[in-house]
Amino acid sequence: MKIIIATKKKKDGVLKCVCNIWWTFLCVKGYTDVYSKLCLSTSINESLSLCQYMADIISTVEFNHTGELLATGDKGGRVVIFQQEPESKNQPQCRGEYNVYSTFQSHEPEFDYLKSLEIEEKINKIRWLPQKNAAQFLLSTNDKTIKLWKISERDKRPEGYNLKEEDGRYRDPNTVTTLRVPIFRPMDLMVEASPRRVFANAHTYHINSIAVNSDYETYLSADDLRINLWHLEITDRSFNIVDIKPANMEELTEVITAAEFHPNQCNTFVYSSSKGTIRMCDMRASALCDKHAKMFEEPEDPNNRSFFSEIISSISDVKFSHSGRYMMTRDYLSVKIWDLNMETRPVETYQVHEYLRSKLCSLYENDCIFDKFECCWNGNDSVVMTGSYNNFFRMFDRGYRQDVTLEASRENSKPRSVLKPRKVSTGGKRKKDEISVDSLDFNKKILHTAWHPLDNIIAVATTNNLYIFQEKLN
Amino acid sequence: MLGRGVKRKWSCLEEAEVVSEAAEDKQQHEDEDGQDGLLDPSRSDMSRLQQRQLVLGLCLEKLQRYQAGVELSLRRSVLLINTLRQIQEEMRSDGVGSCDVHPDSCLLRDDFREDVTVTCPGCSEGESPPELPSQEANGSDQQKPPAAVSDAVNAMGYLGDLALDDIFEDIDTSMYETSDLPSAWASGSLWPLSVSLWPDEDVKLRPQSHSTAGSLQSCLMDLNELDHIMEILVKS
Repeated sequence: MKIIIATKKKKDGVLKCVCNIWWTFLCVKGYTDVYSKLCLSTSINESLSLCQYMADIISTVEFNHTGELLATGDKGGRVVIFQQEPESKNQPQCRGEYNVYSTFQSHEPEFDYLKSLEIEEKINKIRWLPQKNAAQFLLSTNDKTIKLWKISERDKRPEGYNLKEEDGRYRDPNTVTTLRVPIFRPMDLMVEASPRRVFANAHTYHINSIAVNSDYETYLSADDLRINLWHLEITDRSFNIVDIKPANMEELTEVITAAEFHPNQCNTFVYSSSKGTIRMCDMRASALCDKHAKMFEEPEDPNNRSFFSEIISSISDVKFSHSGRYMMTRDYLSVKIWDLNMETRPVETYQVHEYLRSKLCSLYENDCIFDKFECCWNGNDSVVMTGSYNNFFRMFDRGYRQDVTLEASRENSKPRSVLKPRKVSTGGKRKKDEISVDSLDFNKKILHTAWHPLDNIIAVATTNNLYIFQEKLN
Repeated sequence: MLGRGVKRKWSCLEEAEVVSEAAEDKQQHEDEDGQDGLLDPSRSDMSRLQQRQLVLGLCLEKLQRYQAGVELSLRRSVLLINTLRQIQEEMRSDGVGSCDVHPDSCLLRDDFREDVTVTCPGCSEGESPPELPSQEANGSDQQKPPAAVSDAVNAMGYLGDLALDDIFEDIDTSMYETSDLPSAWASGSLWPLSVSLWPDEDVKLRPQSHSTAGSLQSCLMDLNELDHIMEILVKS
């Protein structure tokens, strides 16, 4: 079903409203998709241990800067990287599928002996570094430790050693009668991931964000109460740039929930709080950025005040636009776009699932009210996207002021099948094809979404599966 | 005063259970029907006071939920505590007179909680939600009623002057300090004589009353937790 709306031509070409785009299913990656391929190519022992892993919950999704690679992290500490296949000549209109490129165990569970507590291996965030040479680099973090991984390809190997046989066994030197120069021969492509840096022991509390600076030399890591600045080359120290821990912990009422660097200004970063405020800091002002340069906060609507007001105002994600002019925040019920020049209120507010406002008590009871949804911009900042429950996700077109609700499910996922917009009925009368609020499945939540930086390709993570949709081109 | 080895009762759960047992019954009923993930429709119909009671009980229940060996989210704990405080403020401003006990008298008396209930007048005047039972004096191994939490927080400065140091100064508690709210809650640090909501990892900077909590934590460490730790140490 296509919604026909008059489209406006813009100077830089025809831009379509997001509601006009036919989103088609490209591929879905689940446990068996990822690990069955590995089982075929590794030895029996390895494949058995791989198959023993439980299907794991996806905890982060991130495209690299070209969109060719898509990284996911999961609760088991693994990182899986998908690579887009080159466009085939047979179907030039259809972009390539994403297939497994590399998978590695980034973090292992640890035990803090001093506090008698387990440190989860769950990957909280992955951030790609821009590519400088043939290898790819990414930062991945769990609650306590950040690691820099190098992912490199190997498609040649040296052969013809003098002292080693081809299988690696050493030759008896007495049998060597001639000398030869080893040469590189092609081999099957192998993708290797190796940890190049481990940034540890800098966070007492749980790391919720990492963000690479536009200088591509430094990055920040934020936990509940502190933000540290690192240099990518230096692992044994970091600078603390924000510390909101009160001297008396009894006075603690607010925690840091997310932090990000400005995309162009390497001295500027923002951090959001559990009270719905965003503070922008300038690192040139002082070493410790406890005093914010700007504070963004919208006054509360007194009509909506409830016991849950603070909880639902807690910001779960903050993202700068690619242009650097705006930033987007996600709280429990809405997405807000802020102009960096205006601190008093957002310039745009989009309701993600307003029908849940009357259900907050139940959502508090089943803990769903604490869910942390992420949000993302499209490549040209005209559309924002975020997830919801029942495997629904929402897109808001800022220019056309339109929005659409789509669903990621196996039933709708046949190759090149078109996604049908969904609707939740709020009133008494439920129309055909609508779903009522009470029928929504709150165990099926989409917390992580990502948008290709250049194309209309989106990655949507349900609990265990990664769905990739693309714009249908005719 | 709690002797060594005496197991602290999770009596705090009792009050929460009374409030939310209706909710749990409903939840169980729904679960049996296989309706996981769906919302309880009765929640939308409650009056504000009913909702307040329910949320109060749930707050306590959630804060008490503590899994040995797993660090709970600080963000979640902060939000829960703030909600709890907000409800207490509201209840206080609604004129729940019996809750306003002077810290001096109430916190040092063993039986102070006999008079203190946490039901607001509106609720006790014949509305349906169950009353939170008044706490029976049970020495110092009781969890405080919610109203006394903020009393205790307010009284923190006051308590700093108390000469509790003498009793506990020889106990080294530095090993047992955690940066974790929930572990402090679970270990009963929210009891009348010690009011650290957020045990600090910087032990040296803490006032003496906090190390009181630490030493009590160490006294109250569950044998099960020790077993758990031994298990892990042996395995690794």
